[in-house]
Amino acid sequence: MPSQVGQVKANAAKILWRWAPLSILILVVLSIPWIVSPLWIRIVTEVLMWAGLAQSWNIIGGYTGYLCFGHGAFFGLGAYITGITMMHLGWPFGVGLLISGILSALLAMIIGYPTLRLRGAYFAIATWAFGEMVRQVATILDDVTGGPVGLQLHPFLNLPYFYYVMLGVTGLTYLTTYLLLDRARFGYKVLAIREHEEAAEMVGVDTVTIKVKAFALSAFFPGIFGGVFAYWVTYIHPDSVLGAQLTDFMVVMAFLGGIGSLWGPLFGAIVVQLVQRILWLVWGEGTFYLIIIGAAICAVVLFIPNGLIGLMESRFLSPREAVSQLKKTFKW
Amino acid sequence: MELFLQTIIDGLLIGGLIIVVGIGFSLCFGVMHIVDFAVGEWVMLGAYTGYIMVRYFGHDPMIYLPIIFLIFCGVGWMIYPLIYRAVSGKRHNPVIMGLVFTFGISIMAKGGALFIWGFHLHSITTWLSGKSISLGFAMVPSLRFSGFIFGILVTILFMTFLYKTKLGITIRATAQDRDTANLLGTDVRKVGALVYSLYAGVTGMSGVLIGTLFSIHAAMGAKYCTLAFFVVVLAGMGYVPGVILAAFILGLLQSFVGVYLGGRYNQIALFIVMYGVLLITPKGILRRGI
Repeated sequence: MPSQVGQVKANAAKILWRWAPLSILILVVLSIPWIVSPLWIRIVTEVLMWAGLAQSWNIIGGYTGYLCFGHGAFFGLGAYITGITMMHLGWPFGVGLLISGILSALLAMIIGYPTLRLRGAYFAIATWAFGEMVRQVATILDDVTGGPVGLQLHPFLNLPYFYYVMLGVTGLTYLTTYLLLDRARFGYKVLAIREHEEAAEMVGVDTVTIKVKAFALSAFFPGIFGGVFAYWVTYIHPDSVLGAQLTDFMVVMAFLGGIGSLWGPLFGAIVVQLVQRILWLVWGEGTFYLIIIGAAICAVVLFIPNGLIGLMESRFLSPREAVSQLKKTFKW
Repeated sequence: MELFLQTIIDGLLIGGLIIVVGIGFSLCFGVMHIVDFAVGEWVMLGAYTGYIMVRYFGHDPMIYLPIIFLIFCGVGWMIYPLIYRAVSGKRHNPVIMGLVFTFGISIMAKGGALFIWGFHLHSITTWLSGKSISLGFAMVPSLRFSGFIFGILVTILFMTFLYKTKLGITIRATAQDRDTANLLGTDVRKVGALVYSLYAGVTGMSGVLIGTLFSIHAAMGAKYCTLAFFVVVLAGMGYVPGVILAAFILGLLQSFVGVYLGGRYNQIALFIVMYGVLLITPKGILRRGI
């Protein structure tokens, strides 16, 4: 029967049209290490790492609405734990990663339990102080961490390997966020806490437990990313894995892309990381990028509070409108 | 025994200066419910302003204190409308926006200072540098003593302003209940601007004294940010009189840790005490916070 054959063909075409872009995208992403130069493999791996880190910050900062200003500490913790288990104990890479993630999550529970019961401001302050403390601990425990000298791991120079590991961890981060926060009951509870905490508590959400769980989840991934980063660059130092710039970047990427959305942090990470790399290629090492980051955060908060993702859904603010709004802001 | 007494005196002297950093910050939180992450950067910018003034105009840094106060009041007054815009209006979550906005300001200030002055250390010298008063059992460095006196004077002035003048009562009313104060005819926005500019001025001024005591560098802000946070958590967020007690406790804690354990354990000690306070009495040691 010709009509049925036509039906099948049409269906097949429809399925092909729906899945073709996705499969091409997957193919391109998987083949990147074999078609671009080593410099670009590094840059893309970095973008992937930052996209995952920004997403992990987004879980607590964007979905739950509690701002963590010490998230870089979990990254550094993961880097050091993986480095120490590999160098001092001789354990394999994968085990080190798992331990890093679990310890980060446990520490997040301990930090989060007293502070998440209070207003968001206390949480922001406590996590900031925690980040400052972890940096100092890394220099005090110098017989295991190397202190200010840093820790050298066995070099393993295989860029495609790290690209795939990073891709896997980032994919896991996004998949977990999608499944747990966009699709599961847990996600609705988390959103209810962000929107109206008292109301959520009234309808029977155990707010403290949910918040601590969300914080532990958001700390789990930076631990793993830190471990991968340590093995990738093979030399870690308190300034490189525990510096204040780590948290700064996570916050600006998540905010620029749009907090509380699944794809926002990815956009933010791509934009910020590429801009930073271009600045670096043009001007060399400098501190000017800090001014740009700070100005970008302020501008996003003032003009596009929903980030780049929000821009797609809403109307653009023309420059003249932006200026007139600013003028209104300064009028007494 | 002498070391012990000396440690106590050092702690109390530093505590007197820390009050100034914490007091404006606490009031700022009480009135506007904003945690200003740029508090350390105001200290840093104040120190640099003092350094530049001494370098280009000479004389002693102490005589520039009123000018620096006015400069920073102006800067605070200029910035406040932006903060107000960030925390008001049809925003998703105003508190988050305020926090992140001040976080952005702090990164910008730190980046600007690094860009202009680089990683070098600077210091301000005054005619008091290196002198000290002997008490027999302990030595009191004149500079720290003058910082302490300055701190106490500023605190007395601040408290008198807050508790005795009409404007101060308006500010406290706004802190107590923003909406009611607004209904009764207070321009909440202007009160906020006044508080923010006062806070910026006082914190910038304390930066000059901190710059005479310790070295000035672009990344010094983080340290004073932690100190201010510690003080307000201990005092109870938004409870201004508690700041005085909390600052002295902080000064003593810092000097004891510095003398008996070593300066590198500072942040750990601070965090452990802060964590303990949050765990046991989240409203501060006087249980008066909000």
